[in-house]
Amino acid sequence: MTEKVKLTWNGKEIEAPKGSNLLKAALDNGIEVAHYCYHSGLSVAGVCRMCMVEQDGVPRPFPSCNATCGEGMVIRSDTPKIKASVEATLQFHLLNHPLDCPVCDQAGECGLQDYYMKHGQYDSQMIDKKVHKEKVQDIGKNVMLDAERCILCSRCVRFTEEITKTNEMGILNRGDHAEIQCNETLKNDYAQNLVDICPVGALTSKDFRFKQRVWFLEDVHTTCIGCETGCSVKVSENKNGAFRVKPVYDHEVNGHWMCDDGRYIYKHVSSPTRLGGAVENINGLFVPADELNVQAAVKGKKTKYILSTALTIEEYANFFNAVKGKNVEVALYTLPSDGPEFDGILRRGDKNPNLRGAKAAFELAGFDHSQAGLDNLLGSISSSDAVFVVVPEILYNEDHFNTLIKKVEKAGVRIALACGETLGTLRAFNYLLPIPAFLEKNGEILNYQGQARKLRKGMTYGEASKDVSYYGKWVNL
Amino acid sequence: MDYKDVANYKNYALLSYHHIPGVHNIEVFERAGGYETMKKCFEMDPEAIKEEVKQSGLRGRGGAGFATGVKWGFFTKDRNAKKYLLCNADESEPGTFKDRFLVEKNPHILIEGMIISAWALGTQKGYIYIRGEFYHQAMVLERALKEAYAKGYLGKNIMGKGFDFDLYVHRGAGAYICGEETALISSLEGQKGQPKLKPPFPAIKGYRGLPTMVNNVESLAAVPWIMRHGAAAYKQWGTEKSPGTKLFSISGDVNKPGVIEVPLSTTLKEIIEIHCGGMRNGNKLKAVIPGGSSSPVLNADDSYAVKMDYEDVAAKGSMLGSGAIIIIDETRNMGDILKYTLEFYHHESCGQCTPCREGTGWLEAIFKRKETGKSSKSDIVLLDKTAASMRGQTICALADAAAMPTQGMIKVFREELEQYVTAAPKK
Repeated sequence: MTEKVKLTWNGKEIEAPKGSNLLKAALDNGIEVAHYCYHSGLSVAGVCRMCMVEQDGVPRPFPSCNATCGEGMVIRSDTPKIKASVEATLQFHLLNHPLDCPVCDQAGECGLQDYYMKHGQYDSQMIDKKVHKEKVQDIGKNVMLDAERCILCSRCVRFTEEITKTNEMGILNRGDHAEIQCNETLKNDYAQNLVDICPVGALTSKDFRFKQRVWFLEDVHTTCIGCETGCSVKVSENKNGAFRVKPVYDHEVNGHWMCDDGRYIYKHVSSPTRLGGAVENINGLFVPADELNVQAAVKGKKTKYILSTALTIEEYANFFNAVKGKNVEVALYTLPSDGPEFDGILRRGDKNPNLRGAKAAFELAGFDHSQAGLDNLLGSISSSDAVFVVVPEILYNEDHFNTLIKKVEKAGVRIALACGETLGTLRAFNYLLPIPAFLEKNGEILNYQGQARKLRKGMTYGEASKDVSYYGKWVNL
Repeated sequence: MDYKDVANYKNYALLSYHHIPGVHNIEVFERAGGYETMKKCFEMDPEAIKEEVKQSGLRGRGGAGFATGVKWGFFTKDRNAKKYLLCNADESEPGTFKDRFLVEKNPHILIEGMIISAWALGTQKGYIYIRGEFYHQAMVLERALKEAYAKGYLGKNIMGKGFDFDLYVHRGAGAYICGEETALISSLEGQKGQPKLKPPFPAIKGYRGLPTMVNNVESLAAVPWIMRHGAAAYKQWGTEKSPGTKLFSISGDVNKPGVIEVPLSTTLKEIIEIHCGGMRNGNKLKAVIPGGSSSPVLNADDSYAVKMDYEDVAAKGSMLGSGAIIIIDETRNMGDILKYTLEFYHHESCGQCTPCREGTGWLEAIFKRKETGKSSKSDIVLLDKTAASMRGQTICALADAAAMPTQGMIKVFREELEQYVTAAPKK
């Protein structure tokens, strides 16, 4: 336990660990301090000069991001001197900024806009020619760079230097001609974080830009189901669907960041080809079907279930409750690993988000979750069976899943429970039934640490409110 | 400046060898008494050397005027710890050319000073970071280093004292900002020449993250004289707060511009009239920039009244800086001078801190509005306000160096500048 010290900031007494960052102490205590270059996940640059403060007994103002907390410090960021300095510095930040907010995707969550409301001078005295820099640069990994909007806070440079250690970003030239440039293209798996940490609209996401205005979006705090890490994320969505995924600071799991794969986990949720209701496969064409027809087809058949590892603990429990005491076979399909076990930052090769939760539920209900159990079930399939297969929500390895489908083909009735897009591979099934995607349900999953991570419901889509336990009741109809 | 003139300064500290022909050769230098002080110092306790320098009151000659002995006091006393001594020879401020003159004619006085300083501070390695344009001077230094190595004054086990000191010359790439000590360190490390955040100060964490002492050429070159004659003798010159002699590089409208060495607190009138042979063509003095392009300008009355020491120049609202005196006569337009100054700082801003990156460019743009036909008298008010808001806001002093002369010029020559910005641009 680090020693705590007491200090006052604008007259408010705050407590912080001794020797910790002064600016962070203020931000953690809910004190608003304007800043651009400081990011608690990166080293200190001290270049934006927005977080200047005065301290009793210190002759000159200094940037709070480069100071540490000490007992009894008296800090003020609301003196006329500091206010004037923040105003002037913001003016310098905006001097050569193109002010293209109407077409900028950062609008609404832009540091320049936010502080302008508070510290802006409003009457522009800038009638001179602005410095022009390169716009609309595709620097790879779905990141777009607009050097004119950039305020050269150097967060992106420090990120590629310190977090990914790939050093793609750098500042070239000097003075007001200095600009961020990318060495060829981005080649790290965390590139979208650059978009998040950019305090202005210089780095935007090619995936998100021009899709939605941020003030029309609401954030749902949930957990990424891309791999077993289980990063805290927020998904921005509205009635038109989900639009982007951003990380949420979580000290124990992902810190400030998330990987690029996780950025696209929302895609299937509001995809136009998303399964809305039950469909029947008639000679390779999917046509809407009545659920009663599906039930009729299952009737008299022996039911077998192959579950995925992306369901919540609650879904597994409810499912096993539904099939309890009935003559039913249940197995677990786990996705093969993809890439190295751990990349040293966040990404894990194991793409089964709730493998631990699934195994625990299987064991509790007395079912075999092993590969052998799955093989047994597949080996015993005959034409008098109705097999329900839960399609993995994020299907990293379609080929691997196809081999599973091949083995299911012997069954009399093949039903896929899917929450993704209607993939071509699902043509091997007789019926497709919708189940809720991760954004459409509340629940918990257990990540690689065995830590319970919360999924939160943000939207409902079609009939997808019926989860696996609902279909679990169809045992031996 | 020829040798006859230099002989005027042979009784002072820094130019005392300059009148001797061929003193850049180690043999000539030694015959004249060079390196004797170094040998004497190796018999002394390093702490005693530090104390002597502190007692002498020598102030850093790079421009800030911080006491060298006090700065040395911040340095680690652990003699075994790896640490560096850097000599700042990146003399780039418009108007300054004193270090160039010192090193070009007498490289050994600097090398001797650095060896004594290294022994006092316990540094095992040193670099002379020299301005890139000083190619000839770098070659002179390289040659001198070779001579000193051959004599065994540099390298392993110097003078049998078990003390190792290696000294290298490193040429800069022509950036003014690399004369700022942390930018100099960045540049020497192979990074972009940008100042680093302080704290930590270089004395604690400098070159390669190790304790580093950075001193100006003139400060280091003064050390042998102080150690030879003692701190008390050094204090015979100058005032209590500005003891010793100082090199001044004088340029502009005088008959004999050049480098002189005079005791601090010599009047500017004496410098102009006696050392520089009076005003060129008998023109009237209009203004003086007393400490390099970053110091605020003095009007003619103040110029004739000022004594060239740290306190008196400050009392007149300017600063002694590096001792680069720019003499301006009545034929000059102050607007032109400010324009060149602003162009220089705009070009040299490293672009790290926002107020400087954007401010230096904007100052130039505001001052040149007449070129686009958008100028008005009130531009001077905006110029003053913008310069004021740049001061004290940045990591290093470059923003101040651009803002101070701007504000100083507006204070003294406001009407002339108003006329300048509203006059029709020259065709």
